[in-house]
Amino acid sequence: MRIRIDHALCCGCKLCEIACALKHTEAVNPQRSRIRVFIGEEFCLPVIAGPYTEAACNAKEVVTIDGKEMDGCVVCRASCPEKTVYKEPDTAIPLKCDACGDPPDPECVKWCAPEALTVVED
Amino acid sequence: MYGWTGKILRIDLSRRNCSVEDLPFGLARQYIGGRGLGDRILFDEVDPRTDPLSPENKLIFATGPMTGTGVPAGGRFIVVGKSPLTGAIANPCCGGYLGANLKFAGYDVIIVEGKSPEPVYISIVNDTVEIRPAAHLWGKGATETEHAIRAEMGPEADGWEKNILSVATIGPAGENLVRFACIMADGGRAAGRSGLGAVMGSKNLKAVTAHGTGEIRIPDPEAFKQAFQDFLREARENKELEKRSMWGTWSLPGRANKSKTQAALNFQDGYFEPFTKFEDPAYIRNALRVRDEGCFACPFRCGKRSRISDPEYPWTAKGPEHESMALLGSNCGIGDLEDIFRANFLCNELGMDTITTGATVSCAMELFENGILSEKDIGYPLNFGNAEMMFRALRQTALRQGFGDLLAEGGAAVAEKFGHPELFMGVKKQGMPAWHPQGIEVIGLQYATSNVGACHTKATLPFYEGRKDPAHHVELTKQDQDYVAIVDSGVLCWIIYHGPLWNEKPLQWLRLTTGIDYSAEELALIGERIWNLERLFNFKAGLTGKDDTLPRRITEEPRVKNQVVHLLQMLPEYYQLRGWDGAGVPTQEKLRDLGLEKEGAGLS
Repeated sequence: MRIRIDHALCCGCKLCEIACALKHTEAVNPQRSRIRVFIGEEFCLPVIAGPYTEAACNAKEVVTIDGKEMDGCVVCRASCPEKTVYKEPDTAIPLKCDACGDPPDPECVKWCAPEALTVVED
Repeated sequence: MYGWTGKILRIDLSRRNCSVEDLPFGLARQYIGGRGLGDRILFDEVDPRTDPLSPENKLIFATGPMTGTGVPAGGRFIVVGKSPLTGAIANPCCGGYLGANLKFAGYDVIIVEGKSPEPVYISIVNDTVEIRPAAHLWGKGATETEHAIRAEMGPEADGWEKNILSVATIGPAGENLVRFACIMADGGRAAGRSGLGAVMGSKNLKAVTAHGTGEIRIPDPEAFKQAFQDFLREARENKELEKRSMWGTWSLPGRANKSKTQAALNFQDGYFEPFTKFEDPAYIRNALRVRDEGCFACPFRCGKRSRISDPEYPWTAKGPEHESMALLGSNCGIGDLEDIFRANFLCNELGMDTITTGATVSCAMELFENGILSEKDIGYPLNFGNAEMMFRALRQTALRQGFGDLLAEGGAAVAEKFGHPELFMGVKKQGMPAWHPQGIEVIGLQYATSNVGACHTKATLPFYEGRKDPAHHVELTKQDQDYVAIVDSGVLCWIIYHGPLWNEKPLQWLRLTTGIDYSAEELALIGERIWNLERLFNFKAGLTGKDDTLPRRITEEPRVKNQVVHLLQMLPEYYQLRGWDGAGVPTQEKLRDLGLEKEGAGLS
C-alpha cells in the first residue's frame, strides 16, 4: 500500500496535518504531523515523512516540478537534523509516517476532501 | 481550557512593550471569540469617541475557540477596531493561515495599541515576540512585503519555516491612511471592510507575522474526528463541496445579473449586458484559474488563485470574488474579465477594500458623466467603462496623489464635496456590496441596519428561501444577524455556514472544541448580545438611528424590476423586534435581558 499524492488537486487546507496530529497525539498540532503541506502560488505540495537520516546530505538540489524550481530540502521526505519539520517540538525525536498502523489505514487520506491523497495498492 | 489557548498577547507600540494576560474564562464563555470577544475588548478599552487614526484606537486580532482546531471552514480570524471610514465599530473577517498560526503560537487574541515612532512590523514566533524595523518595507505592495519578510528570515530558517510563517500586511493605501484601506494576509486574503488598514498605517505598523508550533487541546478527539467525517459526508451528499470547490463565488456574477440583482453603473441598474457572458461560470474559471485555494482547515476551497498573461501583472492573485467583480466591474461599467482582474490585483497589492474602492470610483464616474466633476477636477476623463483611467485612479488613491487624495477619503466625502451626497451608494459611508437591494428587498434592511455600514458578511440573507416574502423580512434579518455574530465569533466562515443550511452546526462545533455544554438558547442570546454591544459602541461614538438608512436611489427611484426598498416601513418593525425604542436605541429592558445594563448607561 502507498499513499499517492496528486499535488495538482491539493488546495493547501492542511487538514491532513490535523488528521495526522490527532491520530498520533490526541491534540491539534501540525508541528507533530508526519505530513506537511508546502504552500505555493501555483500548486501546493503535500510531503510525507520518510525515514530519518543521521546527517544532512550534501545533495542540496533544486528540483523542478511543473516548471517551478523548488528547494530540494522541501521536497525531500527525510527527517534530518537540518530540517524543522517531522520532529517532536520538545524532544526533537524524528517522526516518520507509519500509514497509521497495521493494517495500514491512513487518517490523512480520510480527511482530504479534494482527494489529493489516495491509497493505492502496489 | 479546551479550544481557547487562554492567553491574550498585548503589544504596546508606543512603549515597545509586550505582555501576556490570561483570557478570563467568563469572558470567553460569554463572548466566545473572534468578533464577540474582540468587540467586547474594544468596548472596554477604547473610548467610542476616539479618533480612529489616533494612537488611542486599538487593533484587536481575535481568533476563536474553533480557529486552528480543524473544524471545517473554521480557520478564520477577525480584526476589530474603530473604523476610520464609518466612525463605527469595524470587525472584518479574514481567511488564510494567520488565525491558526496565532493559536499554535499560544494566543487567542493579539491587542495592538499605541503608535510606533517609526515603521515597524511585529513578529510572533511562539513565546518570542519582536517589534522589528520596517522602514525598508514601507511603500511596498502586499505580495512584495510578504516575500521580503520571508526572505529576511535568512539562511538559518529552512524552506518550511519560511513557508509556514503567516503575514498580514498593509499596502501603500494603509500607510497613506486611505480610509478604506484593508489588511491583506497570506497572499490575497483580506480583512477587507471598514478601513482597518489605515489604523495599522496610523500606528506605523506595516505587518504582523506569526508562526506557532504549539498545540490546541480539544476535549474528545475521537468524537471530533467522527463529527468531521460526518460533516464531510454530508457536504458531499448535499453537493456543497462540489459546488463551492468548482466555482467559489464565480457562479454568482452571472446569476445575480440574470436576476437583475447585480450592482451596475453605480446602482443605476441591476443588470449589465457584458456580464451575460458570466452566466456560464466556466467562462471565468477557464480564463483565470490557476488552482483552488482552501483557507486553513477548509475542505470547500472556494478561493481561486488566478492569473492573466500580462507582464505588468506578473504573479497570481486571489479572486476576483463576486463582490469585487461587481463593484470594480459592472458597477464601474467594466465588463472585460481581464480588466476586472487587473483592478482586483491592484486593490490587493495597494491594500484597498475592493468594495468601497469600487463604490467610490463609480460615484466619481457618475459625477463625471453628469458633468458635476470635470476633467479639470480629476485630471483625466473618468467615465464609466474607462478601465485605464480607473487603474490610474486606484494608484492615485493609494498614494493620495492628485484627485486620489480626495478619493482616499471615501465616496461619501467625494459626493458631499461636489454637492451630491445622494450619489454615493453606501451606508454609514461604506460602499454597498454586489447585490442590488431593489432585486432582493430584504438585503436593503440588512445593509441599512448593519453595525459596520453596508456589508454583505453580517447576514446570509440571499441564501434564504423566504427572502422574497415581505412578511419575513424583519424576522429573518434579526435572526440571521444574530446568527452570523456567532459564526463570526467561532470563527467560522459565514459563506459555508450560511443560515438556512447549517445553522445548528456552530453549536455542535462549539461543544466539540470547548467541551462546554452550550445550549441553542444561550447561543442565540450571545449573538443578540454581540449585536447590541456593537450598537451601543456606535451610539456612544455618535451614530444614531438616522444612520440606519439607504441611498435615496434605493428607496425612491425604482431602478430594478420597478421596485424600491420600503425601508421606512420595515425599520420601525425591526426596531420593535430588536427591543429598541423608536429612535433605534436599545431599551433598558432589552439591555437587562442581555446583561448589558451597565454598558448602556447614559444612552436610554
